[in-house]
Amino acid sequence: MKLRIERAALLASLGHVQSVVERRNTIPILSNVQIEASEAMLALTATDLDLAVVDKIMATVERPGATTVPAHTFYDIVRKLPDGAEIELTYDQAQRRLAIRAGRSSFQLSCLPKEDFPVMATGDLPHQFSLGAEALKRLIDKTRFAISTEETRYYLNGIYLHAAATAGVPMLRAVATDGHRLARSETPLPSGAAGMTGVIIPRKTVNELRKLVDGAETDVAIALSDTKIRFTFDQVVLVSKLIDGTFPDYERVIPQGNDKQLEVDAKSFAQAVDRVATISTEKSRAVKMALDNGRITLSATSPDQGSAIEELTASYAGGGLEIGFNSKYLLDITGQIEGDTAQFRLADAASPTLVRDAGDESALYVLMPMRV
Amino acid sequence: MDAAESVESALDAAGRGEVVRKVIHIDMDAFYASVEQRDNPELRGKPLAVGGSRERGVVAAASYEARRFGVRSAMPSVTARRRCPQLIFVPPRFDVYRTVSRQIHAIFAEFTPVIEPLSLDEAYLDVTGNLKGIPSATRVAEEIRARIRAETGLTASAGVSYNKFLAKLASDHRKPDGLFVITPREGAAFVEGLAIEKFHGVGPATAARMKALGIHTGRDLRERPLDFLQQHFGKSGPYFYGVARGIDHRPVRPDRIRKSIGAEDTFSVDLVTFEAMRAETRLLVDKVWRHCEKSGLRGRTVTLKLRYADFETITRSRTLPSMIAGRDEVDRIVEALLQALFPIEKGVRLLGVTLSSLNTEGEAESPQMRLAL
Repeated sequence: MKLRIERAALLASLGHVQSVVERRNTIPILSNVQIEASEAMLALTATDLDLAVVDKIMATVERPGATTVPAHTFYDIVRKLPDGAEIELTYDQAQRRLAIRAGRSSFQLSCLPKEDFPVMATGDLPHQFSLGAEALKRLIDKTRFAISTEETRYYLNGIYLHAAATAGVPMLRAVATDGHRLARSETPLPSGAAGMTGVIIPRKTVNELRKLVDGAETDVAIALSDTKIRFTFDQVVLVSKLIDGTFPDYERVIPQGNDKQLEVDAKSFAQAVDRVATISTEKSRAVKMALDNGRITLSATSPDQGSAIEELTASYAGGGLEIGFNSKYLLDITGQIEGDTAQFRLADAASPTLVRDAGDESALYVLMPMRV
Repeated sequence: MDAAESVESALDAAGRGEVVRKVIHIDMDAFYASVEQRDNPELRGKPLAVGGSRERGVVAAASYEARRFGVRSAMPSVTARRRCPQLIFVPPRFDVYRTVSRQIHAIFAEFTPVIEPLSLDEAYLDVTGNLKGIPSATRVAEEIRARIRAETGLTASAGVSYNKFLAKLASDHRKPDGLFVITPREGAAFVEGLAIEKFHGVGPATAARMKALGIHTGRDLRERPLDFLQQHFGKSGPYFYGVARGIDHRPVRPDRIRKSIGAEDTFSVDLVTFEAMRAETRLLVDKVWRHCEKSGLRGRTVTLKLRYADFETITRSRTLPSMIAGRDEVDRIVEALLQALFPIEKGVRLLGVTLSSLNTEGEAESPQMRLAL
């Protein structure tokens, strides 16, 4: 294998795949990225056995071929080469080494044979549809902050993607929850997605996908079975296993009858929460919201640090109510509200509260209070 | 204890060169259930279970009316419902139980600083040198019972004796709303006739092993030499040897702060398969969780302990960011910890499960409420 390639293109592409590679690996070849040169193309592949990303870039290929090299080292080398450099990659099959040359720099990397690199088979993917990159980004952004990190409830360690209906309109829905809060976002169901199985996409896959799709210029083609999912766009293919578990019946924790409605300027509210939370203890991060007709009083106290209080005007006529929330959870939610107004629907200090973006019907958030 | 008995027990003790202690074991009667009946008159006189009525729920406490139907604490709710179809289930209100527990503790503290709480509703008191200078431990116990009734509207049973083992047996003897005294003279005889299951520290597993060894009563236990008991029951051997004679030197440990809740079991035959170990850990998790429910304690760290046939002992643990909310979660963690140890090359003679990083006083259960998922 011998080829020449622009540093910037190689760096971008390596950047796409190298984060899939875990820092610590018991199986040596999983630390490597596979590089494969065919006519005018270089394909880079990385995998952790649960997830594989392939990215293709243009290159001047003199001699096709393939091998694998340590991903993070390769990435670091390319990153440190000067801007605008042209890089020459030459694989010496006999020595099992990849020579990297640019200007006066020259590196030799030990390789492991391509034959040993695990290939992730997708099997049959019966459900196929395509989704705009923007729509996919929104589904992810509005939900991923609520993904659980508790390994014991592994079925919550991802985004639940499934077909559902809102007021009779078929929707593609993304839901995530960590048991304290829940986020749901939806987009009109793409044709081809009707009848798809509900799947749980693991957190790491969600994060890698979100990074990759940022620069996407085409729609994203999605294909899935009950065990695997594949995303294809531009020159990227991401294949991932799905979480083998049952996502809980989340609908029943979305409150329907909360009658106290509160509307508040989202930005001022978020800033006030952030200020007041400076005082609340690192561990609990609790802030208290005291509601009275026309206003909210936010407060926090810490036995060691003191106390904080801030008042905001709000549209509210539900009578006195005191309720506590984890400030981080409030900020996670307000961070996703793009419109001016955050809309809360509350019941009491011990029941789930519903939060929505007044200007966006497609997302909703459920938040359990804290005892304060 | 009356005056004559006091003198006599003092003489007995002098003969052995030790001071006779006065230990009281106070145990609230059907605590959670009684609190619920106190606070809701409609529940009075009715069979009541505190705990989850759901499929996997467990009875945390049963009222005396429910006990008549054979409903017991730690019984699966499904079984309880079968035994007593009209059983009323009430969700537990640990905040209220904790408040009552603090009231009771405050009463104890007026009589003695040497208090060892066992759970929210149970404690040992050493009143040998009590703060009110009352010479009779029986009178102290009576006064405490009267104060509890007056201040909380609840009844407690008390056992009075010269050590913890007998005091606990005594409090159980006249339940509910009773008081029973075992004097130093009566201690050994009281233990003799006792069925082995009634011994504190003898669970179903130990009882089965004792019976297999021909030990059915206190008398049978007393006939076994110390080395025999040590050989079969390890470090519990000396304890059994002592209590079979009415002797228990364990001090009442004041305000001991519980750091962990654990259960372990040694097997008569070493376990080799994952399935067999998994079955045992389930029972251990049940036991640990029962204690959690009883004490209102929750933890963040789960530790699995394994002792191999060659006595090499290892532990594996995992700590979660927040308090573990349910039994099944503990079970899943234990399963994952166990799974990670396989393949195991040696037989396993002991398994243990411990919950630590507890929400001890001051740090109540996590203030963050959970969605009912």
